[in-house]
Amino acid sequence: MMTPAEKRELWRHMREPAITFAVLLAFLAINVTIGWLQPFPAVWAVEGAIMVLMIATVLLFSMEVIEEPALIKFFSILGFVWVAILFGMTMIDYVTR
Amino acid sequence: MSDRAAIGVELAEQFTDVAQQRRAATLGMWSWLLTELLLFAALFLIALVLRILHPDSVREAAHHLKFWIGATNTAVLICSSLTMSGAIVTSRLGWQRAMVRCMLATAALGSLFLVFKGYEYYQDYIEHMTPFLAWRPYELSGDRASQLYVSLYYVATALHAFHLTTGVAILLGLAWQARANGYLQRHQNRIEIYGLYWHFIDLMWIMVFTIIYVMNR
Amino acid sequence: MTDVAMRERTPPPATLDRPLDYLHDAHTLRSWLFTIDHKRIGILYLIAITAFFIIGAVAAGLVRLALVVPDGQIFTNDTYNKLFTIHGVVMVWFFLIPSIPATFGNFLLPLMIGAKDLAFPRLNLLSWYVFMTGAVFTLATVVIGGVDTGWTFYAPLSTTFSNTWVVPALIGVIVVGFSSILTGLNFVVTVHTMRAPGMHWFRMPIFVWTMYATSLIFLLATPVITMALILLVMERAFGIGVFDPALGGDPVLFEHLFWFYSHPAVYIMVLPGMGVISEIIPAFAQKKIFGYKFICYATIGLASITFFVWGHHMFVNGQSEYASLAFSFLSFAVAVPSAVKVYNWTATIHKGDIHLDTPMLYAMGYIGLFVLGGLTGLFLATLAIDEHIHDTYFVVAHFHYIMVGGTMLAFLGGLHFWWPKFTGRMYPEVWGRISALLIFLGFNVTFFPQFILGYLGMPRRYHVYPHEFQLLNILSSAGSTILAVGYIFPMIYLLWSLWFGKRAPSDPWNAKGLEWTTSSPPPKHNFIVPPIVDFEPYDYPVKAGESV
Repeated sequence: MMTPAEKRELWRHMREPAITFAVLLAFLAINVTIGWLQPFPAVWAVEGAIMVLMIATVLLFSMEVIEEPALIKFFSILGFVWVAILFGMTMIDYVTR
Repeated sequence: MSDRAAIGVELAEQFTDVAQQRRAATLGMWSWLLTELLLFAALFLIALVLRILHPDSVREAAHHLKFWIGATNTAVLICSSLTMSGAIVTSRLGWQRAMVRCMLATAALGSLFLVFKGYEYYQDYIEHMTPFLAWRPYELSGDRASQLYVSLYYVATALHAFHLTTGVAILLGLAWQARANGYLQRHQNRIEIYGLYWHFIDLMWIMVFTIIYVMNR
Repeated sequence: MTDVAMRERTPPPATLDRPLDYLHDAHTLRSWLFTIDHKRIGILYLIAITAFFIIGAVAAGLVRLALVVPDGQIFTNDTYNKLFTIHGVVMVWFFLIPSIPATFGNFLLPLMIGAKDLAFPRLNLLSWYVFMTGAVFTLATVVIGGVDTGWTFYAPLSTTFSNTWVVPALIGVIVVGFSSILTGLNFVVTVHTMRAPGMHWFRMPIFVWTMYATSLIFLLATPVITMALILLVMERAFGIGVFDPALGGDPVLFEHLFWFYSHPAVYIMVLPGMGVISEIIPAFAQKKIFGYKFICYATIGLASITFFVWGHHMFVNGQSEYASLAFSFLSFAVAVPSAVKVYNWTATIHKGDIHLDTPMLYAMGYIGLFVLGGLTGLFLATLAIDEHIHDTYFVVAHFHYIMVGGTMLAFLGGLHFWWPKFTGRMYPEVWGRISALLIFLGFNVTFFPQFILGYLGMPRRYHVYPHEFQLLNILSSAGSTILAVGYIFPMIYLLWSLWFGKRAPSDPWNAKGLEWTTSSPPPKHNFIVPPIVDFEPYDYPVKAGESV
């Protein structure tokens, strides 16, 4: 069994993942609720924004990007920038057809 | 907890020190994750294009998806992220046995996801939401464009399920290796690197769920 | 320690009865097929892509043969379609894309930055096996069964109308994509983490910069086409309909996804060539490269801008005209970094101590042909002119000036330049120069008439054409025979030189760069003493009155 000292040590290290977990579940609860109820027509924008917050939470805290050197921070953003290029340039076509 | 082990990394021939090796491994995994993101991004782009071309058909199709199973599965994966973080934390503390337990718990949650996913596919099947099966009538056959979105749902979720299946398999393999004495002394960074992959699969599912199930309802 | 002492350090005399280099480390087939030495893997790639090049070139020869007569009597329509598909698929996916990165990149990248190996040697070997699996599989498919979609696999031809072996060909191409990704990943990590002490970013050779930029394109672009091709397979297997207009899908969407990769893929093929040229020119002008930092920035600039221009392949396919305007405008921006490079190369040659050895001949040819190919690209990026010459031989000539006049010449130039380093042997210089001139001549005779043909309106991918085009077509086919001779010579004399060539010193060209400080061929771990970099890149002697 764990000694009290070990329990404290474990909790010290697990506090951040536990808070991350709770925050993610809260975001999910919001998204599921508004997704189910559809309170107003543009609700997809809110859902998208919450998805962005969830992505940021996972990247920064679960994947610990916040503690990583600048290079890893850069790589963690790079992919999303390229997704934005893909979407942006393709959408120029689809929204103006 | 008396099994606290020393942690470390065995130096591979091509590196000059362990710090370099750790940096290389972390950057390597992040580079791989870039490709995973772009892979799924193509599907999200198609979802958006379909939404623009056929807004009503997409909404109709999205309403036939199993919203609550998707939501439950998202929660399951968020739980598995917590246990994976537990594995990483315990590996850093050198608690090898606790780490293996966390890894097994993570693999179990991943498998639970796959079971729910399989049940969801089964439900889709009995509700005639399988437009790609030529011999089976399609529920929304009056709305031809809806089947594009349903097919996209299958491709996206199957691709994710494939990633999760390989993820669980690798995790079990790692857990098997990690029972050996002194594992953390030689390969602690494998747990860190693998953790990044697992969290990213969760991230991809969060995106699949929000985009495919929620935003297009 | 002075510069000179650092780089003229000689390895200790060998005490074994065999040379201490990577080629003589072990002789068994097993030691090659299971090697994790980046140099040997580079050689494995070189052998593989040479074989693929021969197959692609034979197909090209047959295409040119068919076009000698205007009425399409030599092959049936189906055979002709399959032939140009073999040529396109093999040359693009299995030769040009891996050509310089997977061979020279693998061999030279660790040498140039002073590393013992790539960051992930086993992954590197895996990527070769993945490449071979996909490539041999697709090759068997396109040769035995035949595919008639061209290398672009456009929907709905590839999904609905073609009744050839499209699915297996697609699967092979998807698999090869993963090998590109793994190579790119390895290079990115190696450049970031494996540089020798003192080798900071602005001391890296331009070749390393171009490898880095290419690798980023591998990582960021390849997955999108992987997905697009997977969806084509799904379309054929299950009829999912995303690209099928009959169900409300959009074939143009496939082209967007396809060109999001395939336009940047042009830079996967061209940037490494630019890197090779940037190494050759300073060595044979014996002069520091002009505007080093500008070339570095231009490299990264090209690799980024290339992701914003893919729609210029789609001006006439139903894309919105506003999108076409945006893509056209952005395409012109590509000309800026390209021109920066060309001016920098010519400025490097200016007043240099010029040696017209074989690599330099290829480099000179490269500059001229790249300028011609690049400028005709601006014609094609112009909306109104593209309406006229879209899908004609003008396009064919344009991209062959870039792909053959650019990448292929750079590949051959680099092969001659580093041949002494790869093999420890010199190639016969006279034969080298003769074939370089033959290739330049043959290339222009083959492809220049195609500009005219295209401008007069001959569409690509047709083998029946009006009689008035016959003369130019015959000229083009005649040129391809000269080109073929130019390709066959190096295959013979380079092989010959492996046994009978003069032994190469460690730096036969008096060139600068870490790869020339180690022996030819290099020892197993590249450097006997791990290098420390305390000199600037391209530190060729500065003449009196020359500003740096």
